[in-house]
Amino acid sequence: MLLDVVNLSKRFKHVQAVKEVNMHIQQGEIIGLLGPNGAGKSTTISMISTLLKPTGGDVYFNGKSIIKDPKSIRRKLGVVPQEIALYLDLTAEENLQFFGKINGIKGKKLKSRIEEVLEWIGLAERRKDVVKKFSGGMKRRLNIGVALLHEPEIIIMDEPTVGIDPQSRNYILETVRRLNQQKGMTVLYTSHYMEEVEYLCDRIYIMDQGEVIASGTNEELKDILSSEQTITIQVERLHKSFIDALIADSALKKVDNRDKTVTVIAPKKYPFFKKITGYAEQTETSLVSVEVKAPTLEDVFLHLTGRALRD
Amino acid sequence: MIAILQTKFRLLLKKPLMFIGMTGMGLLFAFFLGMGQYSKMMVPVFSNIENLEKTEIWEQLQESESIAFYIVSEKEAKRAVSEGKVEAAVSLSEDSYEIFVVSGTPNVQFIQHYIHSIYSDILLKENIRKEWKNDEDGAEALINQLEQVRENPLFQIQTGTFQMENSFVYDNRLQSLFGMSLFFVIYTIAFNVVHILQEKTEKVWDRMILSPLRKWEMYTGNLLYSFLIGYVQVVLIFTVFKYLTGVNFYGGFGKTLLLLIPYVFAIIALSMFIVSVVKNIQQYNAIIPFISVSMAMLGGAYWPLEIVSSPILLTLSKFVPITYGMESLKGATVYGASLNELIEPVSILILMGVLFISLGIGLIERRSE
Repeated sequence: MLLDVVNLSKRFKHVQAVKEVNMHIQQGEIIGLLGPNGAGKSTTISMISTLLKPTGGDVYFNGKSIIKDPKSIRRKLGVVPQEIALYLDLTAEENLQFFGKINGIKGKKLKSRIEEVLEWIGLAERRKDVVKKFSGGMKRRLNIGVALLHEPEIIIMDEPTVGIDPQSRNYILETVRRLNQQKGMTVLYTSHYMEEVEYLCDRIYIMDQGEVIASGTNEELKDILSSEQTITIQVERLHKSFIDALIADSALKKVDNRDKTVTVIAPKKYPFFKKITGYAEQTETSLVSVEVKAPTLEDVFLHLTGRALRD
Repeated sequence: MIAILQTKFRLLLKKPLMFIGMTGMGLLFAFFLGMGQYSKMMVPVFSNIENLEKTEIWEQLQESESIAFYIVSEKEAKRAVSEGKVEAAVSLSEDSYEIFVVSGTPNVQFIQHYIHSIYSDILLKENIRKEWKNDEDGAEALINQLEQVRENPLFQIQTGTFQMENSFVYDNRLQSLFGMSLFFVIYTIAFNVVHILQEKTEKVWDRMILSPLRKWEMYTGNLLYSFLIGYVQVVLIFTVFKYLTGVNFYGGFGKTLLLLIPYVFAIIALSMFIVSVVKNIQQYNAIIPFISVSMAMLGGAYWPLEIVSSPILLTLSKFVPITYGMESLKGATVYGASLNELIEPVSILILMGVLFISLGIGLIERRSE
């Protein structure tokens, strides 16, 4: 095991931010840490990165406690913070030079590492441009590039695609995948976008309110919903009485409504068409569509917490 | 640490406006506030002497190089004093004078001394004429001889004063130069030290923690840069004034450059302490002007502390680095003190520096945990 997280906890005065989190990462895996904002993902990875001292538990890198000896893991870690941790008034190349130098890379080695990293993140042509003139996506790519300079064994990414356009997002996802496939890099990827985690990760840990509430591969997690189905109902106008009728139906496990869409989780054998059209008739609600979807991680989260990931 | 310094200077070259602005402001303010010594002090005069303009007293008053006497009515003269437009007004009689003031300042003493010397001179001439009343030509010859001797003395005699321990020597140009330099450098230093807070917020600091750099190297790199930039700014201002405008440092120019070191260190330490207690950069940016202006007022950067009489303000001034900065700089120049004699303000500045920097770094580190 490359990284073992054992009963990791963090308490800030009156708030228990992380509660006894356990996590295991093998060499070459891409691990996803999924959860809504405030779930405790960033605090967890700050502790794994040795930036924050836990109040309980430990993290072992190749069997060695990183709390007792944080320096031993730091050289092997590449951390991509959620913030753009760069000097915006310097060029891309000057930023890489600075972060390379403080990581002890010098001379020709530094030059060749900068070349390689710029190629990886697709910014070779823009190396002389000042970072503040970059688009959000380019800044995020350079943010990742800086973490790759010293050739880490494991890269920890905290929401690396926040606030960027879909094209840049795809570029970053592809870069992460290539790093894993071509360089064998281990990746711990946190996000609240379930489709990113679903697309990239070999295994996923779902966090909510400081705890890991489920873990496994994509399929294993979705199997949690094997005896259930997710039904999405579109209505012309949402009446409260319609929602009340759905909630009152004890067979339905979860009811989540947003604008004109209602999502419910029901048992596989639930006669959904007859029941839902019946409730619509009773409450004078005009249905637009009723759809049974294959379960997603979003549904798993809804099933486990009663709330949507985006809440 | 070298990489941090290199990057900071690279950033300075890309964004030099703050440094240029603060240096320029220091130069400008010191120049304009220090101009007072070149322009004459205005002193209104009223008198019951008829045709005052034609009298010897008036002739001699007009010879002053530093005071411009002008005739007004008694009412106008008194109003000018009470409104603070002038420091003093003078009422002239045949054989006496009166000076009207609101508060006693060094300039008032200077005016009094000047008028007194004129009256003494006139009295001396009158006495000569009285004694030689039978030989008017002889009397005039003696007076002329006296004046010639005064204008072309056989020996050039320079006069100096033995300063009493608490005597106050006021040099307006140096007061403005030192005051404004020490005041504006606070901004330059404070807005550079805050980069630590900025880098922490933007997580650049975290990247440095994860690198092989040691914590002391991170702090030293940042603080050394702030020190250099602050020090260079004041040295630049002093050099401009010494070599371009010819300000007299009383032979203590070299000493002032040394004495700046503990002051700049104390300001860096104070900024570090403020960084450690504020919640965010916005709060820091709001608090710095307030603190720097208060310190400049209390510490004698805007006006000499010697004219402050309030015991409360004088007690408060003891807690402000500018007080000791000004004390040591003025000590090394206008008071001609040696470095040994300035050990007290220098030690206090170093002590303040060590205290603030320890508290600051300690608090920042504690907060990070």
